[in-house]
Amino acid sequence: MEDHTDIILRVENLKKHFEPHQSIAQAIAGQKKRKLVRAVDGVSFEIRRGEIFGLIGESGSGKTTAGKLVMKLIPQTSGRMFFDGEDVTSLGKAELIAYRRKVQMIFQDPYASMNPRFKIRDVLEEPLIIHKIKASRDEREAMIVQALTEVKMTPPQDFMGRWPHMLSGGQRQRVSTARTLILNPKMLVADEPVSMIDLSTRAEILHMMKDVQRDLGLTYLYITHDLSTTRYFTDRIAVMYLGRIVEMGRADDIIDHPLHPYTRALIDAVPEPESGKVHVVKELPISGEIPSPAHIPPGCRFHTRCPYAKPECSSLPEPELEDVGMGHFHACRRYKEL
Amino acid sequence: MNLKDTRRALLEFWNEFRKDTSGLIGLGILALFVLVVIFEPVILPWKDVNRKWRNIDYWIDNSPAAPPAWTNLFAAEKKAVTTQLRAPGKAESDMDGGVGKILTLTFPYRFTADKAPLDLIFRATITGDVPMTFSVQRPDGTGIELVSHFEPGLANQGIRVTLNNEANATTFAFVKDYVSEADLSSLNSGSLEPVTLIFAKGEPTMASKPMALKGDYKLIVKAMLIDPATAVIADPHFVVSGAVSGVLGTDDMKRDIFSGLVAGIKWALLIGLMTSAISVFVGVLYGITSAYYGGVVDSAMQFIYQIVNSMPLLPVLIVVSAIFKPSIWFIVLVMVLFFWTGSVMTVRSMALQIKEETYVEAARALGAKNSRIIFRHMMPILIPYSFASMALSVPSAIVYESTVSLLGLGDATIVTWGQILHDAMAGGAVLNGVWWWIIPPGLSIAITGMTFAFLGFAMDKILHPKLQTR
Repeated sequence: MEDHTDIILRVENLKKHFEPHQSIAQAIAGQKKRKLVRAVDGVSFEIRRGEIFGLIGESGSGKTTAGKLVMKLIPQTSGRMFFDGEDVTSLGKAELIAYRRKVQMIFQDPYASMNPRFKIRDVLEEPLIIHKIKASRDEREAMIVQALTEVKMTPPQDFMGRWPHMLSGGQRQRVSTARTLILNPKMLVADEPVSMIDLSTRAEILHMMKDVQRDLGLTYLYITHDLSTTRYFTDRIAVMYLGRIVEMGRADDIIDHPLHPYTRALIDAVPEPESGKVHVVKELPISGEIPSPAHIPPGCRFHTRCPYAKPECSSLPEPELEDVGMGHFHACRRYKEL
Repeated sequence: MNLKDTRRALLEFWNEFRKDTSGLIGLGILALFVLVVIFEPVILPWKDVNRKWRNIDYWIDNSPAAPPAWTNLFAAEKKAVTTQLRAPGKAESDMDGGVGKILTLTFPYRFTADKAPLDLIFRATITGDVPMTFSVQRPDGTGIELVSHFEPGLANQGIRVTLNNEANATTFAFVKDYVSEADLSSLNSGSLEPVTLIFAKGEPTMASKPMALKGDYKLIVKAMLIDPATAVIADPHFVVSGAVSGVLGTDDMKRDIFSGLVAGIKWALLIGLMTSAISVFVGVLYGITSAYYGGVVDSAMQFIYQIVNSMPLLPVLIVVSAIFKPSIWFIVLVMVLFFWTGSVMTVRSMALQIKEETYVEAARALGAKNSRIIFRHMMPILIPYSFASMALSVPSAIVYESTVSLLGLGDATIVTWGQILHDAMAGGAVLNGVWWWIIPPGLSIAITGMTFAFLGFAMDKILHPKLQTR
């Protein structure tokens, strides 16, 4: 392990279990509660200061829930979280507001993440008002202009008076980023920030985000299902499957030498726009849908879809993350055989 | 938000608002209403209408159910308009062989209508013993000694002499010289209409077919001041009680409808605006709170809502009005207690959607408190949706108030449009064709409703940027 001061966020065995809704009538009738939905089921990772950490998985893998747990938008069921050396597992009101100032979030849907009744100026002014940043209107205006300049919305004055619906998805995502930057956070949680943006502007937005990260020394928790942007954008990644991390390590390492069959399947699924291969529909080594988090398979939770599954995969207890050196972790019992 | 920010926000709002024609019309009418309320003391023809609307004595000189004066424009036979004759010519002379004096008051009256007034009424406030005689000088040179009147020992008391009731005998004597034998036989001093004959041409058919004698009349009052030192005749004036009256006529209780209408504006605005504004605000806040917190809070609030919503307003209003002394504030309060439920369900269902919106989550991620999310993010979106129900509850609040008034439980100290309408209903205004009793207050309620609908829609457009036509 590296020096602890280098770690900005440490998450230990974080769990989030949702209880299915039960009506009073059902409770009186004595119906048993349905099974818990184990959206995040024991996740541990560390994010170093100044890095971009990717959390990857298909929909239903619990990556967005993990992001919301880090943002403290929902309470965790169990597990611990440390931010900047402080225990942030449970926070009081004042501490939570202080935490929010340090950790900010960019949402997936740039069309929904801004109140349609707020002009861009109001959107950007809101964090200043919430955190009672005492400044005259002119000073606040200057901060807004600066934040817009940082995300390359120029000239800023042109955009401040507009409504969100007058902007494109890419522009909105820039404004979302500016809204988080205005508070000078230490870490940003970016939940699929480019998945709803036109392909043509994705790279631009990622460029912008990377520039901002480098300029301001930020740390990103980048949540995505899109492996194609990951290698370009992230330093380290963790692959999630059904609420657990199955593989974690340096981005290049994982993409070039995936150890877990699920990671391999994800990487194989990325279409390659090479001539001659354009019309080849790839044959995926895994099939079917991700199982419901209310009915997680016993043993290795991937065995139902794994092409290499053996009986012991389901009968033996779930494999833990294992270090194979270079900070590369995986959770497959049979990786050596594969 | 400091003062400068608020001003800026208002200025922005106005810049958007003035692009909307119907909104401007609404604002214009509302401004007109407000102006009328401000200048009410100047506009009111009957100044004491607010205090004396239900005082029969105050209206007694008017003619009942008289159409508006301007109906003369469309009538073939012009009717005399109700007027007051003030500022008489005064002359004083000594009485023969005594200390007393004779005060002669001359009221000129130009009569140009085709139909004589219904009555001539003399009013004055008198102190002391003042016997009076009344006479008229007609444009054709004839004169009639009409009546003499004496009430002894008055101390600053009002007197009222109605010539139509008291001048029968003298008028009969005057008419007898003109009319034909045939007419005379059917005429007696009890049944004739003195005022009609005073303004009729002196000819044989003047009793059966009176023709108006147009021209300048002089109504002369001779008052004998037996003790000039103490006797006072204050504010002497004649009321010419015409068959048409005022801007909007009178009702069958002789009340001037225009005065009542003007006096009713402020109450209509107050009842409508206060009830709807408070109840919509309460309802929206209630609906949002219920939806936002969810769970037990939601269940409890919905339970309370169901109870209030299932209670009928009118019986409760009647019972509480009967128990407590009803004032208009009390009625508004009771209406608010029931009206707020109107917007709760719509607001709650919309708030359930909005609270799941990403921007609410984003605000929470920024550190916004519940109160900020409710007031800054959810209220502004939901309030405009309630403008329609707000606009609709303005007239319905007015109607509820008048319903209570109909049952005799309203605030008897004020005049409202609803009360005028209900009086019209009770007085059979429709059957009797007294349209000026129904249409003005009815139209006023309709226009008020329209005004608020216009304002509501205009604000809706501004606060809903997506509706903007780009």
